[in-house]
Amino acid sequence: MIRTADARREILRAIRESLAESAAGGGAAREGPVEPRAAGPGSAVGSTGSADPGAKPRGSTGPAAGASKDVVSSFTERLAAVGAQCTVVRGEAAAAHALADILTDAAARRVVGSDAPLVQRLLSALGDGFVRERLEGLSRDGLFACDAGVTTAQWGIAETGTLVLESAREKNRLLSLVPPIHVALLSSTCLCDSLGDALARMSRASHAITLITGPSRTSDIELTLVVGVHGPQVVHVLLLEEEP
Amino acid sequence: MTFDRNARAALADGQLRSALRQATTLFGERRREALATAPDWEGARNRARAIKDETLLHLDRYLEEFSANAERAGARVHWARDAAEACEVIGRIAEQRGARTVVKSKSMTSEEIHLNAALAARGIEPVETDLGEYIVQLAGEAPSHIVAPAIHKTRRQIGALFADKLGIEPSDDVAKLAAAARRALRRRFAEADLGVSGVNFAVAETGTILILENEGNARLTTSLPRTHIALMGIEKVIPRFADLEVFLQLLPRSGTGQVLTAYQSLLTGAKRRPEDEGPAELHIVLLDNGRSGMLAAPVTRQSLACIRCGACLNACPVYRQIGGHAYGSVYPGPIGAVLTPQLFGLGRSSELPYASSLCGACRDVCPVKIDIPALLLHLRAEVVATRAGKPRLLERLAFSAYAAVMARPRLFESVVRLARMLRVMLPLGAWTKWRDLRPLAPRSFREEWRTRLRHEVAR
Repeated sequence: MIRTADARREILRAIRESLAESAAGGGAAREGPVEPRAAGPGSAVGSTGSADPGAKPRGSTGPAAGASKDVVSSFTERLAAVGAQCTVVRGEAAAAHALADILTDAAARRVVGSDAPLVQRLLSALGDGFVRERLEGLSRDGLFACDAGVTTAQWGIAETGTLVLESAREKNRLLSLVPPIHVALLSSTCLCDSLGDALARMSRASHAITLITGPSRTSDIELTLVVGVHGPQVVHVLLLEEEP
Repeated sequence: MTFDRNARAALADGQLRSALRQATTLFGERRREALATAPDWEGARNRARAIKDETLLHLDRYLEEFSANAERAGARVHWARDAAEACEVIGRIAEQRGARTVVKSKSMTSEEIHLNAALAARGIEPVETDLGEYIVQLAGEAPSHIVAPAIHKTRRQIGALFADKLGIEPSDDVAKLAAAARRALRRRFAEADLGVSGVNFAVAETGTILILENEGNARLTTSLPRTHIALMGIEKVIPRFADLEVFLQLLPRSGTGQVLTAYQSLLTGAKRRPEDEGPAELHIVLLDNGRSGMLAAPVTRQSLACIRCGACLNACPVYRQIGGHAYGSVYPGPIGAVLTPQLFGLGRSSELPYASSLCGACRDVCPVKIDIPALLLHLRAEVVATRAGKPRLLERLAFSAYAAVMARPRLFESVVRLARMLRVMLPLGAWTKWRDLRPLAPRSFREEWRTRLRHEVAR
């Protein structure tokens, strides 16, 4: 094996020597140790001493502000701008109907859902005409053959039209990526105003957090946009408003 | 004289220049549109730079913090002093896992260490999965742009390449070409045992690595194979999770003109339970390869603030004409002209600090405000001081004479008077070949001043 301990020691020594040389040469002084900042929710990005009086204060960081009309409409507008679809529904029964319509319209037959209870309930309410695959025991080729993946999303970001998927909550990584259609169920109470808001709320317990903004895309050939290159061509958000 | 020769060849290539003109202009327009959607662009640039400066001044501590937190979350952290060590670490992991193919998502750092050649030498096949990188790999070429690797190729050329290598019907329909690549690469993803990715940001506070992309190939690379190796330069670390906000505002807007790229993967360690999704092992390779030396002075240290957005390439009047390959380095354009000599030594790249008109467009678009012209001048001074360039005896004589004359007003005046009398133009060779040298005025400003002053006094 490479003596990675040696490499570590030497790299850190080289860094310290260079920084000392810089300080001796009248470069920026290296003051005392930086206190490890408790960068919990709401710790401002500008807290590095960069003078920026115009910095916008963060939005509320309490429990998600919920489904104010503004947040919902700016979220759906941004979704449209990035090429994602959105259907707003009220209640689980309506969601199940909408899901069936989305899948039928997209001619999706093979459907695979995550292990989230809501997803399982909606999938079992789907009528005949669909092949419901189970993620457990599904081979890579089996997964590649699926037409649609259904997951939940933990957060939505209104400012950017982004979905936030946390690995600690359900098995969502491959289902939201491999099939050509991804349907994401999101509660309108989980909409955040901004990216900063969402970053403050994300579960640090997840080993993988995925931010999704619209379908997979590339512009690698003559900067011409193609949608659905390695990931889904269709991203459809089912936004669930609470039943009154 | 490689740069000079390459640049001339590029200038003679009409197809290349039209591809470049289109692409860099479009990139510039998209960037400007995206900037308009940012609430406070200047503020964001200042904050991002301040975060980078703070990190770099304490890089040792932030790296240790990152490494400890990543390992606590279940990652293995490896340290590599140079390219050879990094290739060795990655090659050995691949061998020990019995990997035959390695799927790769786009990583400039892996280009920097020539990882593909190192893997191939061990009998392991590296497969690039980003569409642009895949095109370039099939063509046996190198990327010519940090963000859009195949920017130098037209759709017709790519159609012919795919027809030849993938056996599809020749086509210049971009959607068909992308679909053909998707099909071919799905097969490679299905069989891959190991994925190699780069890293855009590494958060010290949490041990998280963040990877941005649009296609989904980085997500496949980092979630399908059993083992994931992430390669990063030591400068990629940032202190806090919340710092990601400002960098996510800057990087997509500067790079592709998007408010946000389609995907961000925030990965903290390997999966926790066997039944979880994702790789069982995450290895993070921290690469120095000349970076620690750049910390020794503020002017060079700022090179390490670069977030590899590529905006300076699109803005540069030199890059826009000649493209990336002319620079003869994995890092082209203005940022390449300053990174390459610092990473690989001035010896082989003494021409690069001169590959600029010093117009400053790169500095104006840089999201982290790197003063690239200042760096270019610094490196030029170093070329002269270390005589890394070709010996220029005449040039040195001319500049000493110039310095002597300029420092002595009397001497200066007599030289000017003499030059005017003899109506001579100095033979400045290469200098005047591309620039107009204006004829001397019949009377100098100083003479004029003296006469007028005399009149004023007389009145």
